[in-house]
Amino acid sequence: MEYLLEVKNLTKRFGGLVAVNKVSMEIKEGEVVGLLGDNGAGKSTLIKMISGVHRPDEGQIFFKGKEVKIDSTRKALSIGIETLYQDLSLAENLNVYSNIFLGREKLKKILKFINVLDHDYMHKESKKVLDRLEIEIPSLRNRIRVLSGGQRQAVAISRSIYWDAKLLIMDEPTAALGVAEQKKVLELVLKLKSQGIGIIIISHQLYDVFSVADRLVIMRRGEKVGERNIKETNPDEVVSLIVGAEKVKQ
Amino acid sequence: MKKPGSSLILNYNISTTIAFIAIVVFFIIFTPNHLFIDIRNLVSIGTLMPDLGIVALGIGMLMICGEFDLSIPSLIPLCSYVFAILLMKGINPALALVILLPLGAVLGFINGIIVVKTGLPSFIITLSTMMFWKGVIFSLSHMAPISITKYINPHPYFEKMLIGTIGKLPIQTIWFVGVAIILGLLLHFNKFGNWIFATGSNKEAARAMGINTNMVKTTCYIIIGILCVFAGTMQSVRLGSFNATQGIGFEMKAIAAVVVGGISLRGGIGNMLNIFLGILIIKVLENGLILMRAPVFGIDAFIGLALVLFAIINNFIQRRLA
Ligand SMILES: Nc1ncnc2c1ncn2[C@@H]1O[C@H](COP(=O)(O)OP(=O)(O)OP(=O)(O)O)[C@@H](O)[C@H]1O
Ligand SMILES: [Mg+2]
Repeated sequence: MEYLLEVKNLTKRFGGLVAVNKVSMEIKEGEVVGLLGDNGAGKSTLIKMISGVHRPDEGQIFFKGKEVKIDSTRKALSIGIETLYQDLSLAENLNVYSNIFLGREKLKKILKFINVLDHDYMHKESKKVLDRLEIEIPSLRNRIRVLSGGQRQAVAISRSIYWDAKLLIMDEPTAALGVAEQKKVLELVLKLKSQGIGIIIISHQLYDVFSVADRLVIMRRGEKVGERNIKETNPDEVVSLIVGAEKVKQ
Repeated sequence: MKKPGSSLILNYNISTTIAFIAIVVFFIIFTPNHLFIDIRNLVSIGTLMPDLGIVALGIGMLMICGEFDLSIPSLIPLCSYVFAILLMKGINPALALVILLPLGAVLGFINGIIVVKTGLPSFIITLSTMMFWKGVIFSLSHMAPISITKYINPHPYFEKMLIGTIGKLPIQTIWFVGVAIILGLLLHFNKFGNWIFATGSNKEAARAMGINTNMVKTTCYIIIGILCVFAGTMQSVRLGSFNATQGIGFEMKAIAAVVVGGISLRGGIGNMLNIFLGILIIKVLENGLILMRAPVFGIDAFIGLALVLFAIINNFIQRRLA
């Protein structure tokens, strides 16, 4: 089966620092890949090259078998790569449905020639997608800032789904959440997986990753140091890969 | 409009309205002979306010994206100087105004592009461009006023269009309200407005959604540049001359008006209706205090006090919201 996404030898340098060094990985439809590594290992930088925030200095990206040049976030969005960033990707002062439609606003014409925002349509559509994912938000007209962390993450996820994500990248989606909310997000991940969406999930919480991922990719100091099927590994091995085996032995 | 989801309603700040009504009532009661509501006084407010007001509306929008523009007291006389020069070259005033619009846009664009490309605080950048253009305008004009009445007089239609009256209503007021409505539509009913709020509240989030936040900010600067053309021309036609000190102090008064209008200095929050009222409040305060025979040079002290008060109140309200 062809891969949904395949990256080969992606490299990103910031000045003298090689943040990501020749990393290759791939992901299939309906697969959940956990991306692990210590702080500063290069996880966020790697996924930002896939989502169009950074341009790789070297390497190639293939999406559904075809090479793609992802030179802007817009480009990534247009081919179905949606990303949830570590620093929540919502505008706090806009309401729920405006965030779901942010950058892709639905307009309607009044007096035949003036384009204005179509609030009713955006509200209705957002409601639909939230219902489909069984996400409860009191009012979609509320600003994001009054929502809980879990609700925000749910809004961000439903935005990706509404815009027909083929690949969903989540950078520490549960970091800022309480236990119950973490669980809800992980359930959501499994639901999306069952709909055939490929998911890359970055997390420092091994428990999270072990409960949803099929496969793990481990990075250290910008390099990929290991790849494991979830069934053939255990948290201890993964931790030693993350911190570097030498350290563990000491 | 009735939809509470619209940013017009969501960001509406009632305290500005209450303050406006309170101040108006106060001046109606306490100005000698209730001079404040004398029709001549109202007409004078309506004539003078738009000079600052039109530009301040644009400043408000810019501040919602989290940036400042201190360059307006130089852009205004610069536009009005070029206007006077064009008139002296025998160019029809209406045509001169049309020629000026792209100039204003370019001046705004220069501010915007430096701010977004350097990533430095716009406070510093526009302080620099303000001083730069001030130097240019002072040396070009030698600070001498240029009378333009003899060029304007043969074109009464032009004068009427900018500074005429309909009945007693000054045309300037109509322009001011008109600009407020256009910017209000842009800010609250157009996708560009959504992008302004997104840029001001979470730039990274906006970028991630493919919004070109640099373009959003630069466009706001360009709008201000164009508004400066408008305000500068209108003011010099009213004064009958170009004057190197036109627009002096507007940068701070505009910020004051916008803050009184409940816009957060951190960006992301704001409402055109509030900005409009903020401008009215500053002008009404000035006017009312003069009528109450407050010492002219002391008026700023009152406005300063009012500003602090508003900033405290707004901060309080925003914390309650958060
Ligand atoms: N825009 C940037 N400019 C310069 N250096 C950067 C930039 N972004 C990241 N880096 C550096 O690149 C390295 C990798 O950072 P990255 O954010 O990818 O790590 P991470 O694995 O996501 O870490 P964390 O788990 O803490 O989020 C770090 O040393 C970081 O300081
Ligand atoms: Mg990271």
